[in-house]
Amino acid sequence: MGLSPLPIDANTTHESISPNWVTTRLDFLANWGRSNSLWPMPFGTACCAIEFMATAASRFDIARFGMERMSFSPRQADVLICAGRLPFKLAPVIRRIWDQMPQPKWAISMGACASSGGIFDNYAMVQGIDTIIPVDVYVPGCPPRPEGLLYGIMLLQKKIMGETMADPSLRVEHLVGPDGLFRRPELIDEISEPFGNSVHQTRSA
Amino acid sequence: MLQPYIPILLLLGFVVFNAVVIIAASTFLSSYRPTATKQAAYESGMPVIGDARERFSVKFYLVAMLFIVFDIETVYMIPWAVAFQQMKEFSGVLLLEMLTFVVILGVGYIYIWKRGALQWD
Amino acid sequence: MSDTVAALRAKFGADILRAHVVCGQTVVYVSNAKAHAILAWLQQDPDQLFNYLTDITCVEYRDAERELEVVYQLRSLDRKADLRVKIPLDPDGALEVRSVFDLWYGADWLEREAWDMFGVKFRGHPDLRRILMWEGYSEGFPLRKSFPLRGHWSRAEQTRQALEANPEAYYSLEELSISEAYRELPLDVRERLAKAGKVLP
Repeated sequence: MGLSPLPIDANTTHESISPNWVTTRLDFLANWGRSNSLWPMPFGTACCAIEFMATAASRFDIARFGMERMSFSPRQADVLICAGRLPFKLAPVIRRIWDQMPQPKWAISMGACASSGGIFDNYAMVQGIDTIIPVDVYVPGCPPRPEGLLYGIMLLQKKIMGETMADPSLRVEHLVGPDGLFRRPELIDEISEPFGNSVHQTRSA
Repeated sequence: MLQPYIPILLLLGFVVFNAVVIIAASTFLSSYRPTATKQAAYESGMPVIGDARERFSVKFYLVAMLFIVFDIETVYMIPWAVAFQQMKEFSGVLLLEMLTFVVILGVGYIYIWKRGALQWD
Repeated sequence: MSDTVAALRAKFGADILRAHVVCGQTVVYVSNAKAHAILAWLQQDPDQLFNYLTDITCVEYRDAERELEVVYQLRSLDRKADLRVKIPLDPDGALEVRSVFDLWYGADWLEREAWDMFGVKFRGHPDLRRILMWEGYSEGFPLRKSFPLRGHWSRAEQTRQALEANPEAYYSLEELSISEAYRELPLDVRERLAKAGKVLP
């Protein structure tokens, strides 16, 4: 599996329930409830946060999706929306906030900078928050239009509707490993490789 | 004889049943995955400095206590008012009794006022 | 060319290296040894009165022949005049100038930024530590030309260093605004604050 995070210690296996008609009905109920009342934690750092605010305002209205109640405390949030570029200085903060969110939780990486580092391919910016936290939906754009973010939210809703309680790989806490990293170092280097116009920036020693 | 209280009993039963169902459902259906960081205090993503056990000012206790005393005084006034209405021939005596009660408590009120217990800062 | 230059040359003579005008701004180059005295005179002399320090920054040019300059942008609020003072330094040598914190308190964070980004030490600064990068950042000084755009280390290593950094590792008592309540702080916080005064590398 390509982007699978480091597994946490082997003691945290969870028994899987065998799927039957009851579990599928309960699944539908739980997933319907979860996907239609996702309380976002807006981790807005930069310009994408403005577009997120625009999405939350009346014209594009994420209240239609049950997301108008922003939770600025991770304790009451379902989905972490990282809107904006993430400096390395802010990396332990978002990691800690992600760790403090209770299950079930999802993450949306909004914008080019959160997804891949965007135009900031330099010493100070995290090249995609998926090197630090597990991301469910990536929304491209610089910044994405509100319709784009809404499409990403709808994709997340589809993903949640497809979940099942019989899946033991869901609702597992993926912590930072003992070496201090969330993903394998080779993988971090691979997904942080410059691409597009970045390869022409030759001012590297 | 207790006929009108049956709906209250039904309501009580329903409330207890509802609470039990909600707690049981969340116990069985929730995914409880505690980790050390998750259970630490939330300080905007920063590591925690100190604990949240702060010393409480005793003023809160004082205000609460005084409130209770004068609230009970008000509570005593209510059945007195009902009795007053039913015993109109003794109205003068009853009024005098209540005024005595209020004056006794008023002395206490003036005492705490002068001692500065009503001063918040 | 503003008349400040002539006044400077009259007062300090050979310590004023050169001066020119660029985009309507007067730029004066001064020697490092007398820079603090010159800046103090510029601030205090009644004809100059450059009482507002707009910015302190550094510039290193791609041309290896040119020097690294510490740039002070001054403004006189009363006379509505600007002046740019530059101290040329050898980019390979010791990058050290005297701090102007005693003249303008605003130099506090401006000099911290110059230290963080270029490695220029400001002698006499009360609290010279990193400001934009985090306290324990040891990769180098990012805006130097010798520092690669993407940093020296691999992305995995940078991510690991970033996740291990404690954003609150160093706070001065003033920043925490609890200097009066020092006695009542918990023990670990007091220990951490007692170690203050040590500039982390």
